[in-house]
Amino acid sequence: MGDMRTEYVKTLIELGRENQKVVVLGADTTDSLKTSGFGKEFPDRFFNVGIAEANLVSVSAGLAVSGKISFASTYAIFLPGRAVDQIRNGIAYPSPPGKKGLNVKLVVSHGGLSVGPDGGSHQQIEDIAIMRVIPNFRVFIPADTITVSKLVRLMANEYGPFYMRMARSKTPIVHSNSQEFQIGKGITLRDGSDCTIAACGITVRMALEAAETLQQEGISCRVLDMFSVKPIDGDLLEKAARETGCIVTSEEHNILGGMGSAVAESVSERYPVPIKRIGAQDMFGESARDNEISLLLEKHGITSFNMVKQVKEIRSKKL
Amino acid sequence: MGLNYYQIKKNILRARKLVIKSTNLAGSGHPGGSFSMAEILGCLFYKHLKFDPSNPSWEDRDRLVLSKGHAAPGLFSNMAVAGYFPETELETLRKFGSKLQGHPDLKCPGVEFCGGSLGTGLSYSIGIALAAKIDNKNHHIYTIIGDGESDEGQVWEAAMTASKYKLDNLTAFLDRNFIQQDSYTEKVMPLDKNLEGDNISEMWKDASRWKTGDKWRSFGWNVIEIDGHRIEQLNSAIAKANATKGVPTMVICRTIKGKAVEHMEDNPQWHGKAPDSDIVPLINLELDSQFMIAPSIIAGDMTNLENEVKRCVNGRADYIHLDVMDGQFVPTKTFDHNKIKELRPLTVIPFDSHLMISEPVKHVKDYVEAGSDIITVHAEVCDESSFGEIHDLLKQNQVGVGLAINPDTDLPEWSYKFLPTLDQIIVMSVVPGKSGQKYIPETHEKMAKLSSILNERKFTGYIEADGGVNLENIGSCFEDGARAFVGGSAIIGQTDVRAAIREFREQVLQSRRRILIEKAHHLGGSELANKWIGLHIVGKKKDQLIKIAKEENLI
Repeated sequence: MGDMRTEYVKTLIELGRENQKVVVLGADTTDSLKTSGFGKEFPDRFFNVGIAEANLVSVSAGLAVSGKISFASTYAIFLPGRAVDQIRNGIAYPSPPGKKGLNVKLVVSHGGLSVGPDGGSHQQIEDIAIMRVIPNFRVFIPADTITVSKLVRLMANEYGPFYMRMARSKTPIVHSNSQEFQIGKGITLRDGSDCTIAACGITVRMALEAAETLQQEGISCRVLDMFSVKPIDGDLLEKAARETGCIVTSEEHNILGGMGSAVAESVSERYPVPIKRIGAQDMFGESARDNEISLLLEKHGITSFNMVKQVKEIRSKKL
Repeated sequence: MGLNYYQIKKNILRARKLVIKSTNLAGSGHPGGSFSMAEILGCLFYKHLKFDPSNPSWEDRDRLVLSKGHAAPGLFSNMAVAGYFPETELETLRKFGSKLQGHPDLKCPGVEFCGGSLGTGLSYSIGIALAAKIDNKNHHIYTIIGDGESDEGQVWEAAMTASKYKLDNLTAFLDRNFIQQDSYTEKVMPLDKNLEGDNISEMWKDASRWKTGDKWRSFGWNVIEIDGHRIEQLNSAIAKANATKGVPTMVICRTIKGKAVEHMEDNPQWHGKAPDSDIVPLINLELDSQFMIAPSIIAGDMTNLENEVKRCVNGRADYIHLDVMDGQFVPTKTFDHNKIKELRPLTVIPFDSHLMISEPVKHVKDYVEAGSDIITVHAEVCDESSFGEIHDLLKQNQVGVGLAINPDTDLPEWSYKFLPTLDQIIVMSVVPGKSGQKYIPETHEKMAKLSSILNERKFTGYIEADGGVNLENIGSCFEDGARAFVGGSAIIGQTDVRAAIREFREQVLQSRRRILIEKAHHLGGSELANKWIGLHIVGKKKDQLIKIAKEENLI
């Protein structure tokens, strides 16, 4: 198990030592996000703008247009959910000559339903939909701390606006340290020929468990980590559609507009096969203590058990 | 660029005309808010801002962030005048494929901020200012926000943040024009003390109600409150802001939406509307007909000139005319540069030093050092070489250059080569040397003759009428082409200087309105005259226009 926020800041501090251009901004959640650790080592490159997310985004943009690499962080619910105008018109739209958007990385924690006890007001299930329709933005949903570390490095080295959504709770490790991460390239974590589960974030682990269960029942299930929701890996998805004939998607996000939608859009254009989307069924979340989060997810069908069920059902609909 | 007072004014005029031209061609846009901030941008672009049009991304340039992005035509017009791109480029404003978008955009090199969504520019400027601090850079960040824009909560998030980080490299200007899209700001969302009743268009005139500065002060900003259309006040505020350490500065600029065109002034309709093509020539003529009124303090109490200066300032004179007489070139003696030096700290209002002295070339430097904003010397005591020396010295020191001719002097031929860069010509309408003389009527004829020479020789400065100018003859002086008027006893001799200046202005405006109606009638008959008059919906201007038009049989 690993803590994404700890890994995020550990990587940021390494980057801060390597590159003077890295600056970090927060909005009164810097202890929670742990970015205050960056501030301790680099007080001149760390800015806490208070509970003012609009301000957070626009100040990050001003730093970026002046040549800095801005990492702005708070909870998911307060960035795309609150400051979409500043994100759209202040980061994505302004394009210096030869570039697309400003060099700002919005890295949030507390994405999706697994936020738990804070309740529905804090469970951001719309952010992927919001962020992936904004031109010039690229959207990542890491499954584990290895992914976090590699993606933070990748974002720092790649010019342009990024959105990365981390989970609040500790997550199991699903990738190896040697795994390579590329923008727009999904990862095949397990091969299979009867069906594909395309997952992201905390549901990747569930997908692997579902595939294991299915294997015991003689069903060969492929598992893809679609951490790069935008750009989405159309080639990998087409290959999965051709070779396995059906796809189940899974995410802790509204099924409308999320990663599942992105998969459906791509596959329906390139090689249509039956698709089933698992996620919040256009319903808000609610409070659940840490040991009850699995119950909350279960209510929305976000379990490996449901994945197994959906895989079996969808196989019968193959063309 | 470091231009003088008159050059800045000239460039602002050029930019205003481009705003009219470009919004007219685009068929939409925001002239009102472009005009209320015209002087703010003018003072920045032509005096304070460090920039290089041939290298827009020069690292050490000052940054100008137009947060009230809808006023883009104002920004683009000034950028054209400042040399970023040809003025003809303005013809593409808001059109498909243009780099001049409806709102400021990084697509246009030199633009620092993508505006359009209000309330975000100050935060963005904070980011730029923080980056400059990290990098130990000395450039300054200037940001213009609107008063309607100040409804946005993010403005106040930014207010706190700039204060927290002690951003003394950030200066913001509030374009306080009292009008936003729907109506007057105080009706939509009051920023100042709440006003009871409906007389809101008058509200900005009552200084006791201005509370916006207190808001910014309470957020920890250095606040300077000025008349945002007065170049000298802007220049002084910017200099003070740049010298202030440890806190950001907010310059609250009291302005008039649509400033410089009577039917647009203070009229909410002109927030976001383009002028019609048939009205454009009338607007341009009106813009060309701006004028200034300057009391001459020697007509007052010579034993207490300090007080006379204060009376002029309180009376809202545009500048002060200082008659320097040496007892040789003219029989009288008044004061010299030492007196001007003494008076200078009293005010930032421009000093127009009219040197009625022999051999001005020997002394002109003293008058530069004393703090004159414009210095006028007499043609009778100069030749091409000495005037050339004076001309160059004044330009180098950002002081305006004036040339005066006595009633019996014609403009000498040697002066023609200087006309394109001359800031002022004084046509004396009395024999200089004593005050209280009557206006010499032949001056009208002389002015008419002079006007054609000046037009031919591309003179773009001010013609100043000096001597015996009063309420009776000021209108005809304006019709002759004078655009600056020196008032002696008719202003400074009055108990209420402010009322006297107001009457002077009103008289000139009457003449100007008459000329404009005649022009409208000439261009489009009574239909256009009626249309133009109908645009004047604020205040009593319309009644006066109808009266004039009826007198002249034009409608």
